[in-house]
Amino acid sequence: MSLSENYARIRTKVFPDHILGEILSKTWIDNAIPFFFLILTICIFGATVPNFFSQAGLTDQARVLAEIIVVVLGMAIVMLGGGIDLSVGSTFALSNFIVLALFNWLGWPISVAIICALLAGGLVGLVNGFLVGYLRLRAFLTTLVTLIIVRSIDDTLVLKYSMLVGMPSTTSAFWDYLSFESIYGFPLAFLIALVTAVIGHVYLTRLRPGWHILAVGGSRRSAHNAGLSVRRTIASTYVISGVLAAAGGVFYASRLGAAGASTGVGLEITALTAAVLGGISLGGGRGSVTKALLGALIVMTITSNLVRLGFFSGASALVLGLVLLVAVAVDVRWLKNRHKVLSSVYVSPAYYKMVPCPSTEEGSASPYAVNDKLRDVELIGLGEIDGCEDPILDIDDNLFFGNREGDIIRFFGPDYKKWEVYAHIGGAPLGMAFDQAGHLTCCVAGMGLYQVKKDTREVVKLADETKRSLFSIIDDSRIHYADDLDIAPDGKIYFSEGTLRFSTLEWMIDALEGRGNGRILCHDPKTGTTRTVVSKLRFPNGVCMAHDNKSVLYGTTWGCAVERYWVDGPKKGKVETVIPNLPGYADNINRASDGTYWLAIVGMRTPAFDLALRKPGFRKRMVKRVAQDEWLFPQMNVGTVIKFTESGEVVDCLWDKAGINHPMLTSCNEHKGYLYLGGIYNNRVGRYKIPGADPNYSNQGRYWGTKA
Amino acid sequence: MIAFLKNALDAWRGVGEHAVTVPPMDGALSPNQIIEEAPGILEIPAPDNLVALAGRILFSSGPEVHELQLQGAAPSSKIVQRFEHDVSALATSVAGVLAVGLDDGSLRIFGGKHDGMVRKQVAKLDIRCPGALQFVDEDTLLVAIGSRTNPRSGWKRDLMERNTSGSVWRMNLADGRDECLGENLGFPSGLVPLGNGEVVVSEAWKNRIVRLGGPGKVTAELQDVTGYPGAMSPAAGGGYWLAVFAPRSQLIEFILRERDYRTCMMAEVDESQWIAPTLEPTRTFLEPLQGGALKHLGILKPWAPTRSFGLVVRLDADFQPLFSMHSRADGRRHGITSCLEAGDRLLVTSRGGNLIISLPTQDPNGE
Repeated sequence: MSLSENYARIRTKVFPDHILGEILSKTWIDNAIPFFFLILTICIFGATVPNFFSQAGLTDQARVLAEIIVVVLGMAIVMLGGGIDLSVGSTFALSNFIVLALFNWLGWPISVAIICALLAGGLVGLVNGFLVGYLRLRAFLTTLVTLIIVRSIDDTLVLKYSMLVGMPSTTSAFWDYLSFESIYGFPLAFLIALVTAVIGHVYLTRLRPGWHILAVGGSRRSAHNAGLSVRRTIASTYVISGVLAAAGGVFYASRLGAAGASTGVGLEITALTAAVLGGISLGGGRGSVTKALLGALIVMTITSNLVRLGFFSGASALVLGLVLLVAVAVDVRWLKNRHKVLSSVYVSPAYYKMVPCPSTEEGSASPYAVNDKLRDVELIGLGEIDGCEDPILDIDDNLFFGNREGDIIRFFGPDYKKWEVYAHIGGAPLGMAFDQAGHLTCCVAGMGLYQVKKDTREVVKLADETKRSLFSIIDDSRIHYADDLDIAPDGKIYFSEGTLRFSTLEWMIDALEGRGNGRILCHDPKTGTTRTVVSKLRFPNGVCMAHDNKSVLYGTTWGCAVERYWVDGPKKGKVETVIPNLPGYADNINRASDGTYWLAIVGMRTPAFDLALRKPGFRKRMVKRVAQDEWLFPQMNVGTVIKFTESGEVVDCLWDKAGINHPMLTSCNEHKGYLYLGGIYNNRVGRYKIPGADPNYSNQGRYWGTKA
Repeated sequence: MIAFLKNALDAWRGVGEHAVTVPPMDGALSPNQIIEEAPGILEIPAPDNLVALAGRILFSSGPEVHELQLQGAAPSSKIVQRFEHDVSALATSVAGVLAVGLDDGSLRIFGGKHDGMVRKQVAKLDIRCPGALQFVDEDTLLVAIGSRTNPRSGWKRDLMERNTSGSVWRMNLADGRDECLGENLGFPSGLVPLGNGEVVVSEAWKNRIVRLGGPGKVTAELQDVTGYPGAMSPAAGGGYWLAVFAPRSQLIEFILRERDYRTCMMAEVDESQWIAPTLEPTRTFLEPLQGGALKHLGILKPWAPTRSFGLVVRLDADFQPLFSMHSRADGRRHGITSCLEAGDRLLVTSRGGNLIISLPTQDPNGE
């Protein structure tokens, strides 16, 4: 082995590259960046600002934070709907003035004063909403204009009446409580803000109008085509934003009790920075309340602590501006490139050295030597079938298999001319087996383990999850790719899951990784539980109980091997290799009438691909640079069927040399002297007369002891 | 230094010289199935090098030179000459002289005043790889040497070694004074002498057609061909026929930029199983497969990625494509290595399809 290969082997063993892709494919990854940024800011200021964590400091900050949170929530909702609201600062100031004027100066009850302030905010929002939503003006310019107009109204009022509104003429217990008290160190305003946030979260994630906002923000046209009222939804976001900005003004009033010309100046920038920094996309449709909170917390920490550190007054605005710039840049680049980053890092090849490939040369002494025994295979349902991974037969000679559309198809014996859709499951039904009662048990890729009841044809889910393993990043409690199964006499169902990392349509990409991404599971119908019995296998595929029922045989497709898992006897729980070096990729295994086993080999090893498996860097670059259709794949256009004994000796081999009659082989099943051949991308089922085979043998009959 | 850094950066990003993009088959190169559907004339192993010799049509098949006989009920061929080694190039002069280049690197002249001449060197350089021959007059023979190191039959290795050691010579048969017209060419494999003494050469490995106009003067006539351009022959009514013997593909372009993999592949894997362009459609399951070439419902898509195809391009007098005839990924008539316009049809040899095919000379889809 060369130095570079040694390096590649150790490198891919030590560094788990695949984890990066798995993390990036998580939905919470969008929150991770602002979260780390928050931790960073807290660390920086915690280290530099004296008394950063003191109780008094935090309570003070919580009051300010309450104001920012509600304003940011409003801004976030507008941004989620695809707009922007610059008027929040002015609305904030106006609301502050109104609540003080009504309460302090005119002596109205505080509740009425607050409601009036909120209504005023809502009114400003309504104006914005009407102009942007219904008249379709540009959100940026429109709200800029409202910012100026409301600000000038506020300035005029403040200039005239600021002295009057600053003097309380009445008192209110509630107002005092809001202004001065705190519950367990949390000011009331802060708690109200948190409750608002929770309501906002429920609104956006659980309620119809909230979904509409996300839909409109995500794609205005699609939302319109889906029948949503785009205009009203947009208008509603501005109203919500106005009311929330006004609520911020009320908190401000309760905290300071004064109206000045600088109230709420620059608040729109603060709110915008917080929202973008939290990860709420400027393009709309992406974001959450959690993100808004994170953003608010970061911005708040930065601004207030810069002041506490004694920076000059413009510094915090400067820093905020720079942070906004960076956040916007990250937002744009991240959104645009996220899927590119993901697709370029997700496939993470590892080093894998295959055992030497046995010869398949025609006329050679190799047990795999090419012949033409399958040339004249009889074809069933040619052109009427869309994929047949695993054909099986019941004791009445009917033929069953799953197709690409998620149906179970039944061809009626004995001539197999007529067929029907036996049941519809969905997903991609792959391996199948009958249990003792004749129920059809089926592995469905993308769904799990299912059963079709014998007489009622009712589809029942047996298993779709198992225990999550301790350190898995990808959610391995879900059964992603149930592949093939067999049923032990005690009713336990052993089944394989080819890969945890790729979906039904991408299963072949798993071959490029050269890593054990699959597992063997066992479902116990008595307890209804499913557990993993063997893990980290290279695409485990065909599963078959041995003739003595003491072990389970399975093929590993990319490992090109047949292995055995002992379920009984002295070696119980152990795994051993039966055939270590197949010339191709192992697929389904089934029992043969003469005490041996049939194994379908779905595709053949090619020297070029075997070599590539030793070059993880090569495959990685290929995945990045070359279009997917052009990738080097395992050779899957030619397959073969072999017959092997209990000890792993290959005794027969059936080839279709030209590969025209039966291009792909994923399974073979012996029934009454014939071998039925399936291929997952085939439009036919093959039927091969096995010379000298027991004409009465049926898998179901022999195994379960039932008579036809 | 800057060039080195830029190269390293490009390699990391996969851009510039390291981009694996291949120009699309578009415009005049839009795909069709003309070659696949055209009548086959003669089945014979590995036909190549169609030439006209005083009214006869000759071609090579392995170590033999055959004469194609179109008269009679079924076209047939008879052996004209058999050699020790495979024939790699043929050329004929107006006076009926035949020049034969062999895979052992020798050049033989039959007929005319230089009858029996055997040349193994041109200006002290071993010929080794006679890629194309062309008479200018009875004493002057143009010789394209594909590679300094590999014989013509080793073209795949030459490509994978990324050699550009080809050269084109004007050989004077009378006085033995040979003149080099161009060096460091990427496997020159087609020659067209222009009237003014310049020579147009198809450079297979550089996917282009260039005009050699004196020492060091190389002008590109047609660049970035979607395949490896090979033999050229004149077309009636001006212009030329160009046989493109194998396609480029993203995967192969990528392999050509992966030295480590390529070196191991050349050392460990049988040549027919390389990830490399080839003249034959897939023969065994030991050959590499690309994802898009997976058969679905028993069908291989014609637009599947492929390492072989059949392509003949009609070029105008300025070497710009006018139209083209194809055999695509799902076809068998791949590896078009030579073409000869004879009467109202174009004869081409499909090395991969072991067939001589008769094609129309006009664009069947044209106005």
